[in-house]
Amino acid sequence: MTNLNHDVIGGALILKPSRRIDSSSAKAFEDDANALVETGPKKVVIDASDLDYISSAGLRVVLTTAKKAKAGGGGLTIACARANVKEVLTVSGFDSIFGLHDSVEAAVASLG
Amino acid sequence: MSNCILEGLDLTGRLDMSLANDVEEVGRVIDSLEEFGESHGVPRDQSLRFGLALDELITNIISYGLAGRDDAVITLSIEHAEGALRAELADNGPPFDPLTAEIELQDGPMEDREIGGLGLTLVRTLMDRLDYKREDGFNRLKLEMKLKAA
Repeated sequence: MTNLNHDVIGGALILKPSRRIDSSSAKAFEDDANALVETGPKKVVIDASDLDYISSAGLRVVLTTAKKAKAGGGGLTIACARANVKEVLTVSGFDSIFGLHDSVEAAVASLG
Repeated sequence: MSNCILEGLDLTGRLDMSLANDVEEVGRVIDSLEEFGESHGVPRDQSLRFGLALDELITNIISYGLAGRDDAVITLSIEHAEGALRAELADNGPPFDPLTAEIELQDGPMEDREIGGLGLTLVRTLMDRLDYKREDGFNRLKLEMKLKAA
């Protein structure tokens, strides 16, 4: 069982973390994300609309999840990031690595 | 400088914490900071932005500087005054100056990237001011983030 909200839309796995991914919660997010990507679609969208906060420990999990998705023939992208999270994604360069989308639909479409 | 005491309300509030040497403490720090910010009229997103810098620094201290030490001392003091959030973070780990620590620039394909220096990059980017000193066996780091008008 996972506490991570998730869904499958248009053949893509939508992960919807809420509140914070900080150093003390990143491990739980990693375990949940890994388990879902393992058994689910390898096209992955992180829907950040409910996410207030992500630390570098959280970014590390995004990276490992993306590697897993790519190894399975898919990919990962990010949708609906709000100001604080967007700032962290921009400073880290994750915006250009993974792409930021204004809607989950646009994010799913970008994964082809 | 006058003390801003207005109708019994202390406008220069302070939050003092003593932290265990465990990364789980980071969650408690951010929760406390959110609560502190709320009671001082600091917009939540700005408390969280400040909390992120504390998260990265405390995680570094616990994961590297003080890893495995049972004599660890970590203290945190947070203050809201004059349109800014300020903190002083102290630890008895080996000398480590986050202002001058070298950050290895990450390059190359996504698969090969690691995120070593990213936490420090975030700290330096988000904070308006950082002051470090080594004193009596402690690292003492002062942080300041100016609050943006809502």
